[in-house]
Amino acid sequence: MLTRIAGGRVIDPTTGRDAIGDVWIEDGRITGPSDRAPDRTIDAAACVVMAGGVEVHSHIAGGNVVLARLLLPELGLSEPDTPNPHGSGRDVGLLYARMGYTTAVEPAMPPVNALATQLELAEIPLLDRGGLCVMGNDDHLLQLLRDRAGRDAVRDLVALNLATSRALGVKVINAGGAEAFKDGAVRFGLDDEVPAYGLTSRTILSGLLDAVEALKVPHPLHVHCSNLGLPGADDSLIETLEAAEGRRIHFAHAQFYAYAAVDRENPLTGGFASAAPRIAEALRRHPNATLDVGQVVFGQTATISLDILRQFSGRKAASPRKWIVNAGDAEGGGIVPFRYRDRGPTSALQFAIGLELMLLSPDPERTILTTDHPNGGPFTAYPRILHLLMDKEARDRELASHPKVAVERSGLAGIAREYTLSEVAQLTRSGPAKLLGLDDRGHLRPGARADVAIYRDQPDRTAMFARAHRVLKDGAVIVEDGEVVAWPRGRTLQLAVEADADMARRTDAYLQGRFGAGLSSFSVPDAAFPGRRGSEPVFEAVACRT
Amino acid sequence: MTAWIDGQAADRNEAVAAAAALLAGARSPLIAGLCAEVAAVQAAFDLARAIGASLDPAAGAALYDDLGALAAGGAMTTTPAEARGRADLVLALGRAPWESGLMRDLAAEGPGRGRAAGRPRALLSLGGPGDGAIQHVAYPVDEAGLPAAVGLLRGLVAGRIAGTHPLADLSVRLREALYGVVLYDPAETGALGAEMLNGLVKDLNESTRCFALPLGDPHQGRAVAQVSAWSTGQGPRVGFGRGTPEHDPWRFDAQRQVAAGEVDAALWLASLPAPLPAWTRTLPTVALLGTPKGGEIGGDAARIVIGVGVPGEAFGAALWHPRRAAIAWQDPAPGAEPQALPPAAAILADLLARLTAPATGGPASPPAARSADEPTAQPESPASC
Repeated sequence: MLTRIAGGRVIDPTTGRDAIGDVWIEDGRITGPSDRAPDRTIDAAACVVMAGGVEVHSHIAGGNVVLARLLLPELGLSEPDTPNPHGSGRDVGLLYARMGYTTAVEPAMPPVNALATQLELAEIPLLDRGGLCVMGNDDHLLQLLRDRAGRDAVRDLVALNLATSRALGVKVINAGGAEAFKDGAVRFGLDDEVPAYGLTSRTILSGLLDAVEALKVPHPLHVHCSNLGLPGADDSLIETLEAAEGRRIHFAHAQFYAYAAVDRENPLTGGFASAAPRIAEALRRHPNATLDVGQVVFGQTATISLDILRQFSGRKAASPRKWIVNAGDAEGGGIVPFRYRDRGPTSALQFAIGLELMLLSPDPERTILTTDHPNGGPFTAYPRILHLLMDKEARDRELASHPKVAVERSGLAGIAREYTLSEVAQLTRSGPAKLLGLDDRGHLRPGARADVAIYRDQPDRTAMFARAHRVLKDGAVIVEDGEVVAWPRGRTLQLAVEADADMARRTDAYLQGRFGAGLSSFSVPDAAFPGRRGSEPVFEAVACRT
Repeated sequence: MTAWIDGQAADRNEAVAAAAALLAGARSPLIAGLCAEVAAVQAAFDLARAIGASLDPAAGAALYDDLGALAAGGAMTTTPAEARGRADLVLALGRAPWESGLMRDLAAEGPGRGRAAGRPRALLSLGGPGDGAIQHVAYPVDEAGLPAAVGLLRGLVAGRIAGTHPLADLSVRLREALYGVVLYDPAETGALGAEMLNGLVKDLNESTRCFALPLGDPHQGRAVAQVSAWSTGQGPRVGFGRGTPEHDPWRFDAQRQVAAGEVDAALWLASLPAPLPAWTRTLPTVALLGTPKGGEIGGDAARIVIGVGVPGEAFGAALWHPRRAAIAWQDPAPGAEPQALPPAAAILADLLARLTAPATGGPASPPAARSADEPTAQPESPASC
């Protein structure tokens, strides 16, 4: 079927396109303009047409997302006609699709819990999904590094974990930090040693950076640094960036590290100020680096992290006063409920720093919009965040309603920049798609997957981005006037990576010894999704870099 | 035989059609048991959403005691493999840990990973029967019971109880351990005991490391809790009677609902062994019962009985793995004949298709659950069965 999206303002920063025109679709793909009469025309007059949004870091599946729901039944509550971003997978898919997002990645899939995470991801309809497999605190990897088994062994173990968990990429969370926590540590930095292995966090990080490069994983190593949320955490981020030594690296939720200690002698007692300029400048100097923001949103949420050392340290700030730390088989996970108070000086400053980080960006494709859902707040805040980026006046009004410290300790008030629609598309489409190595999305060039969002162009950008006029997934209309009208089940994207047979044998023996269950127990076979075989496969392979 | 209607052997297709008719006529259906592989549990949630049913797993009480304690105060937990690898102290609460097999595993070796590696592993028991074959130190529980003893222990650990006390020595051991693990069965401690234990463990972590390790229930409850969370945003028990999932452990208790006459039809799902409640024979019920190879199930368990394959035996399946404390893949038994009996998920998908197909004239389900925008209301092709 030939479809023409007619007369909209078409935005595609990857070609510099920003003009009234048409977008043509055939067989689920974008095609060039056609002389044939279209079978269907979608009127996009007075609308903005962009590729479907791509999410790189949102906790939408996995054991810790489940635990958060069990800890906070009140947060995941269902109300008639009110889908909840903390609720079911179905609600998550619906809410993303409504905003014009068509792809989302869960960044924290522990290999020991890959099957449950993948089962849960498959229950998020409307979107294509993916998971990043988490390594860096697991005994098997740390043994290889301690025993100096060599780069090839580490590479093979990473490949095996990617293949077994059917992940799209690799993430490291406070490398060695969970391991250190289990041995009693409450602080852990890049050059601290994991006591039982004599390895520094830096050594583990470097091993994983090498492995990801050697395997040509399209998505760079996705890094959650140490010291998240502490004054002086900017030092951790910069040190980690330098430790990458030019290797590709992605920093998750950078806002939570953009905290310069006011009193460098006593960093933990003197409070913090924005380090956004320092991080933006570092990003400018390091083209190998990308970040996503982790913007804070005011209101109640649950923080979910596999950084159990950090979650344990943050437990006393829990609101309501209940929390979970599961010291699991590698990282485990921690859930600490939290309320970002709009009258609270700390929350207000965090809020300002996130915006500042995006507004100082040297390259919006490398400073991707996230709230680290639900850690900074729900992903449903994206429309409002985009509005504030695009509208200096709205930003000033917003800032005026929060404690003064947000203005005093950040540079936000002095920034005149207003994001253009092309920059918005870089922040939410082309940037994240490039980062994940998904060449078939994030743009509207011929050959792209026909994932398209059509928004009514209106001054109220919040309303514009909250409810898309139309959303197409693989060429089929799934949203009309902000409401979901069709429910395709989407696919889960997995990296096409081959595991080394010898490493598989060694790992099988290792797992048998440790768990009394071999590699097969950790696998994610197609047969686990019996309702989804044949014409409706769950998984789709993404090629490695060439 | 593999299917029965009113105790009479029947063709499987006829039985599925009769099951669909039975559920289609229900105004307040119940889906219970859920002692099955994840695919079947997922299919049961999809069916419940479509027909407005409530769901209650056989894992019931023990699961709620743990979930209740979790929602009340949170927890600090570990896994069986971490306990085996790291613990220099294991405290078994009550009887259940001694019956679980885990104590024998823990007695077989000392910690090999982490800072306690190389230390001996102390095995302690509070209020347990012990096991003559496993050397351990036993601490008694007085007539106030196990939860009260855990409360006293928490007071002692926090230094809130003065003078001599029979458990004082135990509190010192817990404080001095580098990596303590407290094994318990929430069914035995109750919600209050589990909550007190979670508090004790959190207090200990102010100065050392100690974690709670709940023994899973034998009926897939912990897997069901996960499916429920991602399917509804909430743990079980849950009801779809008003179209939107509602979590209410009291209201959707199957036993209570049946006794109060609040349900008019039921589906019992147990592809793995679970005790059959008495009401399957008194309430119009469809029972999907796992039938082991060479085994037999009774056709009189419910008005309609359909035999299904045993997951992890007849076919590969995602199941709760007690030693891993995770949902894990389990390959079929060697020599399994996968097509001998259908998986429960296939029967449930067939029922869903029949109950949501426009040609059926519309089942008695609430409008909200049948609206066109429901993902589960899309007709799915019935799997081969």
